[in-house]
Amino acid sequence: MTGAAKYWRIGFGVVAIAALIIVPMNFNRYGLFILSQWAVMTIAAMGLNLTLGYAGQVSLAQGAFVGIGAYTAAIMTTQGMPLVAALGVAVMLCFAIGWILGYPALRVQHHYLAFVTLAFSTLAFLVFRNEDWLTKGIYGISNIPRPAIFGFATNRPLPFYYVCLGSLGIVSVMVWWLIRSPWGRAFVALRENPIRALSLGIDTRRYTLMAFAIGSALGGVTGTLYAPLTQYIDPVPFNLSLSLDLLMMVIVGGAGFFLGPFLGAMIAVLLPEWLRFTEGYYLMLYAVAVILLLIYSPSGILGIADRYLTERRTKAASALRTVAKARLEAAP
Amino acid sequence: MTAVLEVSNIRKSFGGITAVDGVSFDVQEGEILGLIGPNGCGKSTLFNCILGQLTPSGGEVKVDGKVVTGLRPSELNRLGVSRTFQLLQVFPKLSVRENLILAGQEHQGNMMSRLLGPSDAGLTDAADRMIGFFKLDHLASEPAGGLSYGQQKLLDAAMAFMGGPRLVLLDEPAGGVNLTMLADLRERLAAINREMRATFVVIEHNMEFVMSLCSRVMVMAEGKVLANGRPDEVRANPAVIEAYLGH
Repeated sequence: MTGAAKYWRIGFGVVAIAALIIVPMNFNRYGLFILSQWAVMTIAAMGLNLTLGYAGQVSLAQGAFVGIGAYTAAIMTTQGMPLVAALGVAVMLCFAIGWILGYPALRVQHHYLAFVTLAFSTLAFLVFRNEDWLTKGIYGISNIPRPAIFGFATNRPLPFYYVCLGSLGIVSVMVWWLIRSPWGRAFVALRENPIRALSLGIDTRRYTLMAFAIGSALGGVTGTLYAPLTQYIDPVPFNLSLSLDLLMMVIVGGAGFFLGPFLGAMIAVLLPEWLRFTEGYYLMLYAVAVILLLIYSPSGILGIADRYLTERRTKAASALRTVAKARLEAAP
Repeated sequence: MTAVLEVSNIRKSFGGITAVDGVSFDVQEGEILGLIGPNGCGKSTLFNCILGQLTPSGGEVKVDGKVVTGLRPSELNRLGVSRTFQLLQVFPKLSVRENLILAGQEHQGNMMSRLLGPSDAGLTDAADRMIGFFKLDHLASEPAGGLSYGQQKLLDAAMAFMGGPRLVLLDEPAGGVNLTMLADLRERLAAINREMRATFVVIEHNMEFVMSLCSRVMVMAEGKVLANGRPDEVRANPAVIEAYLGH
């Protein structure tokens, strides 16, 4: 990357973060709820992007992990335990279950793996709905408290939005670190060529399980924030359609791109709201928009940008070569 | 001289077909062994059995005197056994440099240091030296998928050497590489053999390439060893001429 492009990128990042902090200050309750939902869902989508986008392992169970996180938070905080403790438990629980769910991926791939994770998703939903003693079944859990952070109550929408945004910030830094570390490179190797990866000493088994476990743990983080955000949970939001929504966020945003989940979640959470003025047609318009996008660019929105940048770079490189060649020929 | 690789009585059958039928040989330290034979004679299957990509139906493989039969390819690689592939096997979306860093990163530290340590695992310099050695300098930051076939072959070979291997198995390194680049490749391989004290086993159909690079040549036919000796001896062997070289 050239120096100027780097400064542009940093400048854009600073403006985006400042806007996310300042602009919502005069949003109403509903606007803040939607924006908080975006921040929270982005975290789960980042997790799925690790598993699917980077490591290439299909999962239709990310929604189930959001559910596990949400129920952990709801059960623990309504018993008077702090949300941070619930976060710790949810992350460990989802990491462990995600690790186990990764085992089928060592044997099956692609749509077969999708079916295995689909079955898990259904299983988790049945537990949420039927195990009344733990989850209160279809009646759900209400009066989920919002946490106090360093003594500041976050009951009002704006402070809690900042909790969600702050969490997103912390997770983003961690994920960014992970994908540029040797682990991130090993994940890409799993996706692109597992046999070659094995022959280079990469323990594909361990990295596959790790990709599942870390991705699932991020689903758990989303759940722990989702419960206090809505303050009431029942099994319905965590059924298969949430897993499919999260999958769509990753694919529409651009699987395997760091910023993909941010964009994808923005489209999945915000676009339906913007299209609400069309009343009964908004879901249809939304569906058509997604179909058109994926026809135009199967690698998502960031795929378009990537294509454009690659094209420009190739042109610049070939121009440089032409100049160099002309100089060589001109030289006596 | 000590044997780096000892293969004894390896067999592999697929259903009713015996692809490798009791092959035994060893490779001494610093040697370049050429492995030739007609298509379907079991060369690649033998490679895959040695490297743990296939489980042999019988027999034993030793590396530096240690039995390695049944180890996974990744474990074998970390013991210093590396390979290149017959068909292109680079990571197309990663840059040339990233491909090389990836090829070396699992050979040092542990999972934790690879997570918390530097992003390049401290391998940028080593990767750039390898890039210079294989004359890929101008392509270091390009995605490997954009390289020409011959350049990808060079990268594939370079990747096999990133972990500082004791033994490298090269599966048709010269296949599809043009003449100029071929001379280059042979010279690079010979230089690595000298400088890194790496031992090679090379499958190749290009006779001139094999005869000039290898110190010993082994010929396979129908899953068995037909001949094993100095290049000139093998070339004069009537059975080899009959089965493979032709008149």
